[in-house]
Amino acid sequence: MADKGFLLDARGITKSYGPTHVLRGMDFAVAPGEVHAFLGGNGAGKSTLLKIVADVVNRDGGTLNFDGHSVDEPQGAAARARGLAIVHQELAVLPHLTVAENIELPHYHRGLALFDRRAADRTALSALALIDRDFAEHAAHRLVGDLSLHEQQMVEIARALKSGARLLLLDEPTTNLTAGEAQRLFAVLRRLVSETEIGVVFVSHRMREIRQVADVCTIIRDGVAAVHRKPVTELTDADIVELMGQASALTETPVGGELPAAVSAAHVDAPRLKIEGLGFPVEVGGGAILGLAGAPAGPQALIDLLIGAAPLPGVVIRIGDHPQGYRSPREAVRDKVGFVSGDRANRGMLSALPIIDNMLASRRIVERRVLVSGKEAAQARSLLSALSIKASSYWALPSSLSGGTQQKLIIARWLQLQPRMLVLEEPTRGVDIGTKRDIYALIRVMAQAGTTIVWWSTEQTELVELCDTVLGFGPDGRATQLLHGAEITEERLAEATGMAA
Amino acid sequence: MMRIFSSYRTEIAIAVAIVVLELALGILVPNALTFGNISDIAQASAPLIIMAVGVLLVVITGGIDLSVGSIFSLTGMVTGLAMNSGYNSVLSTILGLLVGVVFGGINGFLVTFVGLAPFVVTLITYAVAASLAFIVTNGHSLPINDQNYYLLNGGTLIPGVPNFVLFCVVLVIVTEFVLRRVVAGRWVYAIGSSTNAARLLGIPVHRIRFSVYVVSGLCASFASVLSVSYISNAEGTAGEAMMLQAIAAVVIGGASLFGGTGSAFGALLGALMITVIQNGVNLIGINSFWQGSVTGLVILVAVLIDRVSKARR
Repeated sequence: MADKGFLLDARGITKSYGPTHVLRGMDFAVAPGEVHAFLGGNGAGKSTLLKIVADVVNRDGGTLNFDGHSVDEPQGAAARARGLAIVHQELAVLPHLTVAENIELPHYHRGLALFDRRAADRTALSALALIDRDFAEHAAHRLVGDLSLHEQQMVEIARALKSGARLLLLDEPTTNLTAGEAQRLFAVLRRLVSETEIGVVFVSHRMREIRQVADVCTIIRDGVAAVHRKPVTELTDADIVELMGQASALTETPVGGELPAAVSAAHVDAPRLKIEGLGFPVEVGGGAILGLAGAPAGPQALIDLLIGAAPLPGVVIRIGDHPQGYRSPREAVRDKVGFVSGDRANRGMLSALPIIDNMLASRRIVERRVLVSGKEAAQARSLLSALSIKASSYWALPSSLSGGTQQKLIIARWLQLQPRMLVLEEPTRGVDIGTKRDIYALIRVMAQAGTTIVWWSTEQTELVELCDTVLGFGPDGRATQLLHGAEITEERLAEATGMAA
Repeated sequence: MMRIFSSYRTEIAIAVAIVVLELALGILVPNALTFGNISDIAQASAPLIIMAVGVLLVVITGGIDLSVGSIFSLTGMVTGLAMNSGYNSVLSTILGLLVGVVFGGINGFLVTFVGLAPFVVTLITYAVAASLAFIVTNGHSLPINDQNYYLLNGGTLIPGVPNFVLFCVVLVIVTEFVLRRVVAGRWVYAIGSSTNAARLLGIPVHRIRFSVYVVSGLCASFASVLSVSYISNAEGTAGEAMMLQAIAAVVIGGASLFGGTGSAFGALLGALMITVIQNGVNLIGINSFWQGSVTGLVILVAVLIDRVSKARR
C-alpha cells in the first residue's frame, strides 16, 4: 500500500524541550477503517506526539501528512483542521454552557452566525444516544457543570463522534466511564470504523480494552517507535509490556519487594473502621485494604464522608475514638486520615508550588507546623531517593515530573506519617504499568504497617489483586454487596456493581 | 415560558426588588413616585447602564475592566475640548468615542497578546486615563454651549422616546440577543467558562477577548458623551465613582467575577438598582455620605441570595 493511503502519516518526528529529547525520529501512521492502539509508558513521548498531531505543539523535525498532504501546506493544514477530532485526557468541556452547546459550538466557525438551538439539540440527542439513550433524553438542556465527571466524558466523546471528523484521537477515553458505558463506546467505534472508514487512534493503559477494540498498534518507547503498525493479535500481553520497556513490572511480585528497601512505613495501630447505615454492616480492621467498586456516585459519596468533605445522610462511620467521623478535611488530616484525590491536576497537586512543598503539605498539617522547618529539606531528599524519583531539584515545579511520578509523590506524602487510614480515589488512573506496580507496592507497604486503606477503583483486576474486602455499589449509588477474600472475583464484582466485566 | 422564567430567575428577582424598593420609598416620601422623579432616575442611570453592559462582556470572559471610569472622564474632556476648539458636535463625539476604542484596544492588546492579568492592565490604564483627564485642560472643567449637542441625549429619534432611553434599550436588547443567540456571544461565555477548553475546541479566544475590551472601552466613552450632552459640562472627575458602580451593577445583575455567567438584562437592572438606592437616600434626606454603605449592603444581599439559591440546586 502506498503511503498516500494513510489518513495520518508522521515520519521521523523529532521534538526537544531544552536538553531533553522527547521524540527522536518517531513514525506513526493511521489508515482509514482501523482502530489503532497507541501505547507507551509514561514519559515515552506519547502525549507530545499527540499534541504535535493535533497542532497544539510544533515539531522540530520530520514530516507530517494528513490525507496525503503535508500539514505545512494549506491543503494539508485545512484537511487536518476539518478532519481531526480529539477527546482529551483532561476534559475540555465548558461547564457554564449546556450539553447541546458543548457538542455543537465547536462546529461554528463564524462568530456572526446565529446559533441554532433546535438543530443543536437534535444533534446532541442523536450523538449522545449513540452511547447512552437514557442519558441523551434528559441531558441536552442541562449545564455541563452540573453533570458528573463520567457524564461530562460522554459529552466530550459524543462531540468527537458527531464532528464528522475522519480521524478520531481518543486519549484514554474510558478513564471516567463505567464498564457498561465503555462497552457501548467500543461498539460505536467498531461500527463507525466499519461503516464510514474513519480512523481511530486509541490510547489506553488497559490491556483488555486494547484487545477488545484495536486492530493494530504502535508502541512508543524513548521517543521512537518500538513497534510500528503491527496487528494486535500478533502480540501477547507480555510482548506489549516488554516492548514498552516495562518487562520487569510483570515478572516481579507486587508484594513489597521491588521498591527500594529505604521505603518503609513505621508501624501504626490503626483502629477498626466501621460503616453503618449502608443496609449491611461494614467493618475492617487496621491494615486491611477495603476496595470500593462501582460507578462513581456511591464510592464518591462514601469517600467524601470518610475524609470529612461532605456528610452522607443516614450513614455513620466509626474510626476508633471518632464515632461521628470528621466535620472537615482538616480535622481528618489532623487525625491522620489521608486522602489521595483521583483528580490530580485540580485536587491533588499544588501546581504552583515546588516539589518540596507538595511532598510535605500533609506533614505540615499533621504535625501542626507553624514555621517551615530546616529539617524539611532532608525529609524531602530522603523521600525522593527512597522512591527513586529523578527530579532535577526539589525546588522544581511538579509539572517537570511525569504524571505517574506525580501520583507516586502524592501518595508518598503519607508514607512516613503513620496514617490511621488512607483513602485513595483511582490512584492508578492514567499511569503506565510500571508505575502502577510501584503504587501497588507503596500501598501494600503502608497496609502492612497497619494503615487501613480505602481504595476506589474502576479497574476490577486491580481490586481482585489487592483488596481484602470489597464493597460494591450499584449504578444508582447504593451499596449492594460486601465481598471478602476469595469471593472477590471479576464475575462477582460485575454482579455487585451491575456492570458487564 | 417556563424556560424564560428559569433562565432569567436572577433578573426577575432584582426587578421585583426594585419595584418593591420604589413602592416603599413612595410611602416614605410622597414625591418619589412622580413622573419627574422617575424620569430623573432614568436619566441618571442611563450612562451607568451603558457602561455596565460593556463591563459585563469583560466580566463574562472572566476578566475585569477597572479603566472604564477614567475612560469616561477622559472622553468627556476630549469631547469638550474639541467642541470648545471649534469642531462640530458630530466630529467631537467621534473623537470622544475614539478615546474608548484606543484605551479598550490597549487593554485588550496587553491582556490578550502580552498575557498580562486584566486587573493589572486595567489598573494601569485607569491611572493613565485619569491623569490625562486632568492634563488636557490643566484640571479645569469645560462648559459646553451647543444646542445641537444637547440633542444627542435629550432629542427624540423616535417621537415620544428620549434618545438616552432609546440607546439604553437598544443596547441592552442587542447585547442580550448577541450573548444568547449569536455564536460570538456563546464564545464569550465559553471563554469565561474554561479558557483552556475553549482554546482546545478551536474557539478564536484571542479575537473574542480582545474585542470585549474594545467594546467595554467604547461603551464607557458612549456613556460619557451622553452624560456630557445632558450636563453640558465636562469635568475631569466625572467618572471617578462609576467604575465601582458599573462592576457592582454587573455583580448585582447575577454575573460571576469568575466568568461564565451574567446577562445584559441583569446589568441593566443592577445599574437601575444602584441608581434607585442613591435616589432614595437623597429623597429621604440621609447624608449622602451613606450612599456607598447602602450600595455595599445591597451588593452583599444580592450575592448572598445568589449563593444560597445556587447551593440549594
